[in-house]
Amino acid sequence: MTISDLLKTNHHGRAQKHRGTRLIIALLSLASVVVLWQVVIWVNQLPPYILPSPLRVWTQFVIVLNDGSLLRHTLITLGETLGGLALGLSIAAVLGYVLAHSPILEKFLEPYIVASQSVPIVAIAPLLIIWFGSGLTSKVLICALIVFFPALINTIVGVRSAEQDLSDLMRSLRANRWQTFIHLELPSALPMVLSGIKIGATLAVIGAVIGEFVSADRGLGFLITSARNNFDTALVFVAIFALVVIAIALYGTVAMLEKILLKWKQ
Amino acid sequence: MKKLFLVLLALSLAACGGTQINAPAPTAASPVKVKLSMGYIPDVQFAPFYVAAEKGYFKEQGIEVEFVTQFENDSVPLLGTNQLQFAIVSAEQVVQARAQGLPIKYVWAWYQKFPVAVVAKASSGIKTPGDLANRKIGIPGLYGASYIGLRALLKSQKIAEKDVKLESIGFTQVEVLSVDKVEAVVGYANNEPIKLKALGHNVNTIYISDFVNLAGNGLVTNEKTLSENPKLVRAMVTAANKGLADVIAKPDEGVDVSKKYVEALGKGDAATLKIARDVLDASITLWKAPTLGMSDKAKWEAIQSTLLDMNLIPAPVDLEKAFTNEFVNSK
Repeated sequence: MTISDLLKTNHHGRAQKHRGTRLIIALLSLASVVVLWQVVIWVNQLPPYILPSPLRVWTQFVIVLNDGSLLRHTLITLGETLGGLALGLSIAAVLGYVLAHSPILEKFLEPYIVASQSVPIVAIAPLLIIWFGSGLTSKVLICALIVFFPALINTIVGVRSAEQDLSDLMRSLRANRWQTFIHLELPSALPMVLSGIKIGATLAVIGAVIGEFVSADRGLGFLITSARNNFDTALVFVAIFALVVIAIALYGTVAMLEKILLKWKQ
Repeated sequence: MKKLFLVLLALSLAACGGTQINAPAPTAASPVKVKLSMGYIPDVQFAPFYVAAEKGYFKEQGIEVEFVTQFENDSVPLLGTNQLQFAIVSAEQVVQARAQGLPIKYVWAWYQKFPVAVVAKASSGIKTPGDLANRKIGIPGLYGASYIGLRALLKSQKIAEKDVKLESIGFTQVEVLSVDKVEAVVGYANNEPIKLKALGHNVNTIYISDFVNLAGNGLVTNEKTLSENPKLVRAMVTAANKGLADVIAKPDEGVDVSKKYVEALGKGDAATLKIARDVLDASITLWKAPTLGMSDKAKWEAIQSTLLDMNLIPAPVDLEKAFTNEFVNSK
């Protein structure tokens, strides 16, 4: 065995030890929350319709997992979220690039862009349902609306972050628009754009649920409303945890993508 | 570190504790402050309570009432934990709540007829429940009084849910039916039909109460208040009953008094006031009874049967514990 092999073995061992430590900490953290949760119920004598016990929530989770309803509703919400994310991010990316190069157009559209963020989604959701129907379209539009603003701002800032010196260099080398985009603007903008996507991914879940709260007969938002009508707070918790899982999974996916695409930066 | 943990634990316990309210027995000399949770927005439909407040019926019973506006299914858990003593709740919510262990009880029947109805434009040809088969029906959601009422109606006519096309449209029934996105909508008999007529649409209304007798909305309290302060419950029922009787006898007065509580009415033009009067007239037909406030066991059994059919409750609840006429009969 060479010294290099020894060093590699040591490094691998330390990495495994760190992963193990992180897992133990995560499990301890989860266990602490569960214990605290149960203690709060015991001390305050809280009934299950106010705060269900971890066991009750787990039991309800197993029931809706086994009967297929949890997966069915989760997939509906996930579909709406992904649709809204795709639509919102596409429009934001294209418009963001254009506005980054046109301060005049940016000023012209600024009030409407800010309005798109300022209008409360819960107020506009019923209108979208009246205009576009109560099906998938209105839910995707609600998600897209929520995702649009942060994605747009991040795209504009990202495209403009390309160093002026490098931009001048590209011009002096007679690079065309496409070459400048691929070799300078895109790599420069990518970190900000990916940040925008991470923010958008979690917001899109909120958009899907708001749409389902207003009008839906399926999805996790509908499951929450239906459970609340039946005072089944344990089922509300199950649906909320499912939403959290979706949001974390989306965020994690983008974070992984970020690691791959921005490897050249590390 | 240990101290920090203890502080955090104490804070979280305190935050979850909540406050339980235990009101003393009411007297005119020292009135008791009571919150009454009603509906989700102030509306002329709550005229009996507004009249009872304005005419001093609550005061003479020793109650200083405060009207609270929130969703019904937010009020119910508060009732269950005695953080609220009184709320207007629909009967099916009481049964569903009791099935989940909430100790609440319905003490005064406000609506004698189930208020949910199916509304369609006259041009659709929908006049009877049988006409609903294979039609697109807009419904707020697949939960709540609208859905339960519709299912009871369909069952009474031996129509399966799969034989109609339900579309969840939220509370946009008027708009959606106006532009013919659906062929019929489920709403409240004293609301959607009137608003649609005001927009110039000729509508047919199918009253679920004509086909199925289900218990409707009423005054609900909790078992703790009933056992510790029955005088307070009697006082609330008495005041509410007087307010209701007055509005039934003088609906114009009901609209007038409501202006103080419903902002849109206070600023309203003649057209708005006409709609309010029409809503109140339609509501009165749902409230009238030989003895105001009395609950009918058969209507409760019908609503429980519907909930069982729909698997919304796992087993029957003891209806004797769900409602009482004790405070309506006694003086």
